[in-house]
Amino acid sequence: MNSKSQAGNAFSFSWWHETVIGVLLLVVLLVAGWLVPGFLKPHSQLLLSRHLWEFAILALGMTLVILTGGIDLSVGSTMGLSAVVFGCVQTSTGSLVAASLSCLATGLCCGAVNGGLISQLRLHPLIVTLATFAAYRGIAEGWSQGNSYSRFGTNFSSLARGSWFGVPLPGVVFCVMAIGFAVFLSKTPNGRFLKAIGHNERAAKFSGIAVERIRFWLYATSGLLAGLASLIYVARFDTAKADVGKGFELDVITAVVLGGTSISGGRGNILGTLLGLLLIHETRMLVSRYWRSDELQWIVIGSLLIVAVLAYQLIARKPRS
Amino acid sequence: MTAAEAVIQIRGLSKSYDGVHALSNINLDVAQAEIHAICGENGAGKSTLIKMLSGIVRADTGHITVSGTQLLTGSVQASESAGIAVMHQESAAFPHLNAIENLYVGRELTRCGGLYLNHIAMKSQTERLLQRLGVSVDLSVPVGELPLAQRQMVALARVLSRNCRLLIMDEPTASLSNRESQTLLRIVQQLQVSGVTVLYVSHRLDEVFQIADRVTVLRDGRHVATHRIADVDRQQLICDMVGRSIEEQHRPRAHATDDSAVILDVTQLTRCGVFEDISFHVRAGEILGLTGLVGAGRSEIARAIFGIDEFDEGEVRVSGRKLKGGSVQDAMASGIGMVPEDRQHEGLILPMSVGENLSLAMLRGLTQWGLIRRRAERDLTDAQIRDLSVKAATSRIAAATLSGGNQQKLVLGKWLARKPKVLILDEPTRGVDVGAKSQVHGLIRNLASTGMATLLISSDLPELLALCDRLLVVRNGRIVGELQGRTATQEAVLSLALPDAAGLQLREAQQ
Amino acid sequence: MSNLLPPIGHALRPARFGVRFSKLVRQRETGLLLLIVLTCVVVGIKDIHFLSCEVWREILVRCAATAIVACGVMLVVVTGEIDISVGSLMALLAAVMGRMISEHEWDISCWIGIPATLGLGTLIGVFTGCLVSVGRVPSIIVTLGLLTALRGLTTLIMGGQNIDRLPEGLTQLAKQGLCGVPLSILAAVGVIGLTSVLIHHIPLGRRLYALGSSAESARMAGLSAVRLKLFVFGYTGFLTALATIVDVPRLPKIEAGIGSEFELLVITCVVVGGVAISGGHGRLSGVLLAVVLMTMIRPVLTFMDIGEAGEKWTRAIQGMFILLAVVTDSFFLRRQRSSGGEHTA
Repeated sequence: MNSKSQAGNAFSFSWWHETVIGVLLLVVLLVAGWLVPGFLKPHSQLLLSRHLWEFAILALGMTLVILTGGIDLSVGSTMGLSAVVFGCVQTSTGSLVAASLSCLATGLCCGAVNGGLISQLRLHPLIVTLATFAAYRGIAEGWSQGNSYSRFGTNFSSLARGSWFGVPLPGVVFCVMAIGFAVFLSKTPNGRFLKAIGHNERAAKFSGIAVERIRFWLYATSGLLAGLASLIYVARFDTAKADVGKGFELDVITAVVLGGTSISGGRGNILGTLLGLLLIHETRMLVSRYWRSDELQWIVIGSLLIVAVLAYQLIARKPRS
Repeated sequence: MTAAEAVIQIRGLSKSYDGVHALSNINLDVAQAEIHAICGENGAGKSTLIKMLSGIVRADTGHITVSGTQLLTGSVQASESAGIAVMHQESAAFPHLNAIENLYVGRELTRCGGLYLNHIAMKSQTERLLQRLGVSVDLSVPVGELPLAQRQMVALARVLSRNCRLLIMDEPTASLSNRESQTLLRIVQQLQVSGVTVLYVSHRLDEVFQIADRVTVLRDGRHVATHRIADVDRQQLICDMVGRSIEEQHRPRAHATDDSAVILDVTQLTRCGVFEDISFHVRAGEILGLTGLVGAGRSEIARAIFGIDEFDEGEVRVSGRKLKGGSVQDAMASGIGMVPEDRQHEGLILPMSVGENLSLAMLRGLTQWGLIRRRAERDLTDAQIRDLSVKAATSRIAAATLSGGNQQKLVLGKWLARKPKVLILDEPTRGVDVGAKSQVHGLIRNLASTGMATLLISSDLPELLALCDRLLVVRNGRIVGELQGRTATQEAVLSLALPDAAGLQLREAQQ
Repeated sequence: MSNLLPPIGHALRPARFGVRFSKLVRQRETGLLLLIVLTCVVVGIKDIHFLSCEVWREILVRCAATAIVACGVMLVVVTGEIDISVGSLMALLAAVMGRMISEHEWDISCWIGIPATLGLGTLIGVFTGCLVSVGRVPSIIVTLGLLTALRGLTTLIMGGQNIDRLPEGLTQLAKQGLCGVPLSILAAVGVIGLTSVLIHHIPLGRRLYALGSSAESARMAGLSAVRLKLFVFGYTGFLTALATIVDVPRLPKIEAGIGSEFELLVITCVVVGGVAISGGHGRLSGVLLAVVLMTMIRPVLTFMDIGEAGEKWTRAIQGMFILLAVVTDSFFLRRQRSSGGEHTA
């Protein structure tokens, strides 16, 4: 039977995607080390990594969302709205703690609205998050009226710019979270349930998995992470305005899918997402350092995404009889 | 009849899925302009035969000849060009399109050299066809929004609009009222007069006797008999369908006595339009059978009890504790387990491993500080694989790679790991080979003897009679009778389960 | 992503309210039209100038490009796929066309440059369709990849500079148009007519709906999914090229950022216009009204005379409209399920 042979094949190729991405990453690193002197030195890698962390944090949530067969287009806009809320609260109360908390809370609320609409009204996540993609950004723009808030103090910005044993603090936060997510996904019942929902929601329901509740919290988490990413972004640039995180959603989805998470759900892991993120990041850095060209990196990354998924389709799936 | 007269010859046709014979060595001749009925219980192989004729399924061995030329099985195009058309049981081919569009997708009537759609011609022809069928259908409404009966008529019109030579009808009247059915039968007879050969599959024996020239009975994928309709009576036909080879030695011993505790108590459960006023109870150690024709509402009742679907009225109690409707978690917490009907889409998550499937329903019980204890999980799954003798190389291979019987054991194992108080089994042995079937039967008996209450839904009458202490028969969403497992006969069950006219006559004949 | 369909359990609801409500909902066009007219009346009362020809001419000109591309994307969504690369494609085509015909660049004749642009657009569309249908890569991934790659290619072609000085004739035609009707409006009318004929009068159009309604039944009816998908993506590519040709010369110069987030606006219009994201259902009139409604928001906010503050809320209002459309859709879906039984299960 068709489904059987497909699944059987997919099984035998279970780590295929990660391997290919890993090899590609090695190739990129070697080429970079050869072309750009000093590229591979830990110091320059850490220096280069400062753009990575907000993406990386968003990618963790997105991996889980896509794993269940959903998608979240609103993360970038959520970042924008959270940043504006942060700015407003900070200017009106003067308290960084209150501002930070409200920034995170805004992210959580945005995500919860997505989750509520998707799980309770059973709407298609693509459409819901397309709507909130426009709505959150719009509210941010309307509320802030194009103003930007800045000068939150050096203490605050040192949170994002500072480092711990040479590793930037956002990087430390990310690493801890990545480990947490990886453990969650592979070692806890809920992580297993996410995969089950992605593969076959119906069977998951028949197994007593609270699909709707899990889905709600999933999108809420994704929103919360967007709030956190926004906080880091604001701290790094010491500026909060409505266009924070613009265009992030597509980059993040690209990284996650490139990392081997199946857009139709069920397959994927944190390691793959890490590799996908690194591949995109290193390619980008290589291209911008060596060719000094921003445009080339987009072409390479876009093609990489299509070719990787195409190759996976061709190899892992037999054509229909 | 000689083979030369037959417009369709089927020779040695076999098909097996994962080692289970769906059809074995079928031989059949159908004459030109004959209405040939095919009868059999659910799972007798009728639908496989239809799929093969219509080109959806490829035959393993054997061949089909249409008017002297051999038909390539497994190709829809080949079957279509041979003049074979199928009207499926519930067919809304393109739910978003209206009736006219549905009729002509892929072979639209055109004008201006095939460029433009000829709306007028298509509309008038559709109207003519529907008029001939004696129905009025709103042509502007998407077919998916029409009532079931009208959809059925559109499907029939769709078939009629192409000039087929062999028309296969799969339970065409299942969703029709009596009057509509009569119209449909009249049309079938008209078709016969115009030279079309009809293969008519139906549970309604009345209809078979009314229109068929000959009737073929299938059982367990085998050809049992072909009769001229004049040479056979109802009793004979039912005998052929159910078979006489019931193993009497498997008569159930009573697992439960009347004073065993009532575990599952269902009172006046109603879901509007699906089932009504369902009340029954299952005692500890009892196996209660729930049977009826496909579509009578059996699975829906089970789904409502388990919380997959919500119900409108009534209540379900497990050991006296009332369940929240529509919550699987609550049902599971109070000790219900359910082996669903569709094991591939509901029972298992095929791409996930055997072990992951086995532990899925009780993963939360295998945790320490929120993390899954791998060893405990492996012990559990290994034990289940061993106890149920699942044939799997390791617990890490994908569930999809197992055979049907082993997959079913997985679904059972998944629930047995929870040690449920009530187990609902929906068609637990459908599409399962004989060996695995008897293992599953043995398992159900053993579980009952340990005091588990079992609700067994099945279309397989011998299975029900062999296992059940009591039997409930469902027809049109209502419980129409209760039989004692000891004394029930297949005829008695069938006479209750069949739709009104056929069943009534059978009931009268028995009295 | 279609595994989010509601379970069958919700099939049964009291029908009375549902039927009446869904009749209203099913006429997505009535709702949209009502909203547009209501807005016009309210804004018109405040400032009668809003109802003048010049204002509406400007609104329609702004609608044109979106409407042209939405015709293609709507058909893509009807077949059950999605295309989010049209914005980047538009930018690429604008860059290529600008390079070719600008007097400061290669200065090729428009008679070669414009057909070449149309050809390139179609070619990229067919390529997309090829990856989707033959390569069986999910369309959202293919077009996401193209969205990124084409944007990069555009910047590369532009070489960090803006392109200006398109041929005088073309810019004049785009601004003033033929007999006073701007070129983009003429093109939009033509495309709308063509698409409408395609949907209602050509077998191909019917087959697109059939494919989206049920891929399995379409296969049984002998339709070729590969060919149909090649067609819709090719058609979308062609229309994107056309929209570029008629819309871009209006602008003072061609920038690399042209058409950014255009794809999301188009998808929004398609969804608000009542096209089912799972395919098989959707009408052109709804999509066109949605295009007008979405484009109107900004001018309306300008006319409401709440200053710059108002305009900043444009997106928020767009988002609310999508949500509104989607939520009413979900009620419609449930009702359809209750009469449609379990065939989608």
